[in-house]
Amino acid sequence: MSNGDNRREFLIKVGIGGGLAALAGQGIASLRSLVPNVSYDAPTTVKLGPPAEFPDGLKFLPDERLFVFRDGNTFHAISAVCTHLGCTVRAEALSQPETKTVDGKPLRLTHRFLCPCHGSKYSGDGGNISGPAPKPLAWCHLSLAPDDGQLVADLARPVERDFRLTVG
Amino acid sequence: MSATPKNDAPQTQAPGVHPRPFWSLRPQSDRQSGDAVTSNFLLHWFPAKSFKASLAWGYSFWLGTASAALLLLLTLSGLPLLFLYIPSVERAYASVKDIEYVVAFGAWIRAVHRLSAHLMVAVVFLHLVRVFLTGAYKNGAGQGQKREWNWVIGVGMLLLTLFLSFTGYLLPWDQLAYWAITVGTNIASSVPMVGASVRELLLGGRTIDQATLIRFYVLHCIFLPAGLGVLFLYHMWRVRKDGGLAKADHVALLAEKRPTEPSESKTYTLLGVARGTAPTVRTVSLEAPDTTVNSIPDLTRRLAIVILGTIAVVSMLSVFVHAPLEEPANPLITPNPTKAPWYFLWLQEVVTDTTIHLGSFTINGAFLGGVLLPSFLVALALAWPWLDRSPGVSAGVWFAASRKRQNAVFIAVVVLILILTFVGTFMRGPYWHFYWPWQQWPELPARI
Repeated sequence: MSNGDNRREFLIKVGIGGGLAALAGQGIASLRSLVPNVSYDAPTTVKLGPPAEFPDGLKFLPDERLFVFRDGNTFHAISAVCTHLGCTVRAEALSQPETKTVDGKPLRLTHRFLCPCHGSKYSGDGGNISGPAPKPLAWCHLSLAPDDGQLVADLARPVERDFRLTVG
Repeated sequence: MSATPKNDAPQTQAPGVHPRPFWSLRPQSDRQSGDAVTSNFLLHWFPAKSFKASLAWGYSFWLGTASAALLLLLTLSGLPLLFLYIPSVERAYASVKDIEYVVAFGAWIRAVHRLSAHLMVAVVFLHLVRVFLTGAYKNGAGQGQKREWNWVIGVGMLLLTLFLSFTGYLLPWDQLAYWAITVGTNIASSVPMVGASVRELLLGGRTIDQATLIRFYVLHCIFLPAGLGVLFLYHMWRVRKDGGLAKADHVALLAEKRPTEPSESKTYTLLGVARGTAPTVRTVSLEAPDTTVNSIPDLTRRLAIVILGTIAVVSMLSVFVHAPLEEPANPLITPNPTKAPWYFLWLQEVVTDTTIHLGSFTINGAFLGGVLLPSFLVALALAWPWLDRSPGVSAGVWFAASRKRQNAVFIAVVVLILILTFVGTFMRGPYWHFYWPWQQWPELPARI
């Protein structure tokens, strides 16, 4: 093989390789552009309002898909997002509220939760009783805003079921 | 398109030169019939001759042609909708409402589009059932047949059809759309490890929002139809390459057992041509004159009946069956019950029943019923042509004796899917409780 052939072979390979590399670059850039760098989803830490505005018992916050419970001056919050396929569960008041010890702390159960999509049932503490739900409903972290004293829920921060926020 | 053969005489000036500007769809001679195939761009993908047995209504029920006709109708009815629909969260619902109540013929065009989409899912599925029960993915007499790969392409086209229908489901941005897509895409997130990221990529975020709408819109209008179009063309090309329908092979295999009249071979030696003594040989020509007819007009006539018939039936039905439009999408209120599109309800039914608790260990039903089971069924379907060991003569025969057992299992699976679909559609009420079709659903408040 003469030098000229070698050079020709080499240049052909460079040409094809360059073309393929450009094509691959275009492809990768196009696909990567579809993975968002900035999320415009709703924030996960939200102010819910002054604690005094919450009634004793349950309040459902549709925007946050959250149930906030008040028992005197203690608060806890349970997510309304079904652990099966993400539908919003509905609360159904129990005819006879009962008190149960959950994770070593007494808890007054006033409701149970039903999912309209596939019929999962949850007890008042969020425990999955029947239906396809694989996990209990998540409990969310609650705190008080340092600036104006509003109740703040952190939807992305699950807590144990003995979590209570006691206000003043 | 003149049907009269009056200017046949001058066309013999040179072979292969066709002075007639148009071809005839009602040819008066074999020559004219052949010309129609070779000189028409649309007709040239047909063979010159077709098997009578392959054209029989009762063999294929022309379900593949009907699916293609529905695809054509979907493309045609989708074009005006492209001008009228606005893929924005703020305006999508209003634009669909305009199509439904303001635009001239808008409601009818939308009804045609929706009805054809639902029918296409059903007809493509029936086509698959027909191909399985006739063993039409099997290779028969011909050389180099690769029918099993056409089956694989067909399964791919069924999945594309389902995904096309599913992406179209979100576009009206009403309650029906929003929650069906919520349930559908959450199934993706039940896959261990990668599920959440797959869902996020599909939605363009963590919730169904503008990013999701535009993704589904582009998939629905560009990528999926283009993919389906390419596969459709390859599917048709393969049918030709594989020697037509499997029924043709069956006819040919049976014909081999029958003594045929000696006929002139198409193979000539140079000497034979010169002396006019081409050898006369026994041949088993697939295109024996008593089993075939001219494709034009026999094939084209039936094609026209099926395609125009499908379009006519859908057009008329769409006058009476309106496309629904519910309340605008509201992420705050989950309708009770929430149902996926009807062709996924058998999966939703499975998803409801398959959460398994083993002590403290739980397998989410969404993963088992929504991911594992359908993946297994698709994988099995894709591999089946290689698992089916029945002889070649069972290709192209309804309920062949040698395929009795696999046909029975296949029918059982199909019937199970249909029963679950029926239960999910008609027997599930609020909270997914079971109700007989004649039972009243209880009145429940829509809001808490």
